[in-house]
Amino acid sequence: MKRIWQTLTSGMSKFIIVRLLQIILVLYLYMTLVFIILEAQPGDITDIYTANPKITPEAKEAIVKQLGLNKPIYERYLNYLRNFVTGHLGCSFKWGNIRDVPDPVCREQRPTWDLIRERLPRTIVLFLTYTIVSFYIGFFLGKLIAWRRGAIIEYFSTVVGVVLFTVFTPWFALLLVWLFAVNLGVVPIGGFINPDSWTNIRQIGSVDCSIGISCSNIVFNHMLLWLGGLTLFWGIVYLWSRRFPYPWQRNTARWGAVALGLVLAGLFFGGGWLGEIDRVVLARDTKFEFFVWHFEFPAGTIPLFPLALDFVQHMVLPILTLTLISFAGTMLLMRNTMLETMREDYVMAAKAKGLPDHVVRDKHAARNALLPVVTSLIFAIAFSVDGGVFTETIFSWPGMGQLLLLSALEQDYPVAIGSLVFTGIFALVAHVIADILYAFLDPRIRYD
Amino acid sequence: MAPLTTYPVLQVENLTMHYTTRKGAVKAVEDVSFSLDKGEALGLVGESGCGKTSVALTLLRLLPENAQFLGGHVYFFRDGSDEAHARRAVGKPVKILLDGQEHQGRLVEVDRSQLVLDARLNGRTQQIKLGRDDIARLGVDLTALSDEEMRPIRWKGISMIFQAAMNSLNPVYKVGDQIIEAMQTHMPIPIPEARERVAQLFQLVGLDRQLMDRYPHEYSGGMKQRAVIAMALACDPDIIIADEPTTALDVIVQDKILREMRQIQKKLNMSMIYISHDIAVIAEVADKVGVMYAGGLVEFGPSEAIFKSPIHPYTKALMSAFPSIKGEKVKLAALPGEPPDLIKPPSGCRFHPRCPYATEICEREVPKFIEHKPKQYAACWNPLM
Repeated sequence: MKRIWQTLTSGMSKFIIVRLLQIILVLYLYMTLVFIILEAQPGDITDIYTANPKITPEAKEAIVKQLGLNKPIYERYLNYLRNFVTGHLGCSFKWGNIRDVPDPVCREQRPTWDLIRERLPRTIVLFLTYTIVSFYIGFFLGKLIAWRRGAIIEYFSTVVGVVLFTVFTPWFALLLVWLFAVNLGVVPIGGFINPDSWTNIRQIGSVDCSIGISCSNIVFNHMLLWLGGLTLFWGIVYLWSRRFPYPWQRNTARWGAVALGLVLAGLFFGGGWLGEIDRVVLARDTKFEFFVWHFEFPAGTIPLFPLALDFVQHMVLPILTLTLISFAGTMLLMRNTMLETMREDYVMAAKAKGLPDHVVRDKHAARNALLPVVTSLIFAIAFSVDGGVFTETIFSWPGMGQLLLLSALEQDYPVAIGSLVFTGIFALVAHVIADILYAFLDPRIRYD
Repeated sequence: MAPLTTYPVLQVENLTMHYTTRKGAVKAVEDVSFSLDKGEALGLVGESGCGKTSVALTLLRLLPENAQFLGGHVYFFRDGSDEAHARRAVGKPVKILLDGQEHQGRLVEVDRSQLVLDARLNGRTQQIKLGRDDIARLGVDLTALSDEEMRPIRWKGISMIFQAAMNSLNPVYKVGDQIIEAMQTHMPIPIPEARERVAQLFQLVGLDRQLMDRYPHEYSGGMKQRAVIAMALACDPDIIIADEPTTALDVIVQDKILREMRQIQKKLNMSMIYISHDIAVIAEVADKVGVMYAGGLVEFGPSEAIFKSPIHPYTKALMSAFPSIKGEKVKLAALPGEPPDLIKPPSGCRFHPRCPYATEICEREVPKFIEHKPKQYAACWNPLM
């Protein structure tokens, strides 16, 4: 017992625990703020019926009463907090139930949590992918242009990067849609699946998909789990391989883990075992489009990959847009810090040790230059939450940003509050992860 | 092959290097020549900015991008039987030590038993073939190597202890791992063995072996200095260049570390180049001394001879500007004037504006670097004899 307490209170764990407690406090303040701000807005749900003569003032009052909007504000605030703690985020004013069985609490209304559970993974996947891609491109280019200072690539990427960084985001996004989706027709215009193909699906795994599109999340969650699982697996192999006696053994283990992960994922999505979880049953012959290619699948059992690819092709354009717009920030920051670390004595020492050029650059200079850039990554994650409203609207990506916009426009309080709170939780968790990451990247930082 | 009692590991000839700046070329190294024998410690001494570090960086080819290498040769010697060394030398200018004689030429071809050389003999160029076993030393011109060919020489051939050793350890890696990295770059050695070797090196420089799994920020200044020395020793190099190895340390630690370095150098029979502005440090460790002034070598010779009777006025001035703890009390004589601007150095002898012995010729002509006393070279028109 004493030992457990010691581990909990020592260094890193203590830091994480303290940080989590702080987060709970921040979250409480944030939730209160969100509630107050939404309450302070003029009007309520009945405003959307203003232009509808069939809804009489009496009917409006009945709606207000039914939704509990006539209760005093403190009572509603306490209700809201109590609901949140018990894990119930209220019922949507707008969205109707789509399940066969009515919800025990919300009946014909749709529970907010149900909406969020459906949409949060979509936002996380889109923005996590974009953050990683854009961060890596920025990091890579920044490192390169600092290392080969004065080369053509420096002028080119700096000018292009800065222009894209300052351009008006929605305009640029629409321009790319016009170019790649409308004119060239290589990617879908928007949305996150191609409904024509999905309506023919009768079953995914063991779940009956008679309602069609609602099944998309099964595939989506599979992809998410695989991504997370493989990353975790690779991380473990990486740490484990550090103890290997020879460098080539380390590299073999790391690349081997990548290959193994890809093979396993390929087997799963390619129909390697077509079991209880990765089988898709088509009701009739279906055409799947993937960029410019078309696949025709006969009715019957098919693997998951056409559905997974359908997601991927819908993600390409949003990710491309977001990356182009934002990579320059990381790139310029990386360039500056890299130029600074390149002057350090340990970089010269690494060169003198006879290490190959790319090892000096990556392992010694870039590794140290990375530290301040990780800080900017935290801001990038925070940005992805508000940027989501823009991007998801333009690309009709049915994620949290779009949900937030729709519910705010339609005075759907529970959903607006719920999605705001969840984006807040998302940002806070990202901050903690970044803090922990930082402690691992820089051994000089000890949070005790 | 007669065993040699002393043989060269490095010969530097007429090294010249300038830095390009907006104001003009900084003539940082001008016509510097010296040689270093096996097991010998050479001290390069001079004021800050006189080009000592630039010489060291030129040897290792670690110069910044604005540096312009303008000429000279750096011959790095190894045994004629060293396969990798001989292969590397193919097509390059080489120097060969054969029966106590030095031959210069270009290596054309090399195989298991012999070496084909284009060399000037008796006034005309001819191709000669030499048995590998006859060759005592084979020196390859490092300035002719490509970067990739230079890489194996770094650390394995010539390693370096950098100025401000505190900063030459990467803060994000464990000290032991940084030393192992250097070893694994140059030899296929598994980690357990490499760790054992690091432990031995740590013992040699007086560090606890537990420290190899610590990060640099957990070290004190003196400990870092020792770790850096251990790192320089890691690949068992032929030459170690120690650039101001102890400047950042306090006098007591400085003295202790210098003594230990001297001991290690004797024990492993290693060749070393010490670089310092502190003539007291050089006096303590060096067998031979090279005195530099404004980018050029002004005096070179055995340290005893130079400290007893310097030939060049600058050497004398430098010596009397430093206090000695031992010996009688003398008034310190500060050298008047400033070190010259290396963009527009003074004409003739670069030291003449500050030289008390300067005559009219000093202003006009550059003095030749010649042997004034046995083995004691100097570039001066009015040598102090």
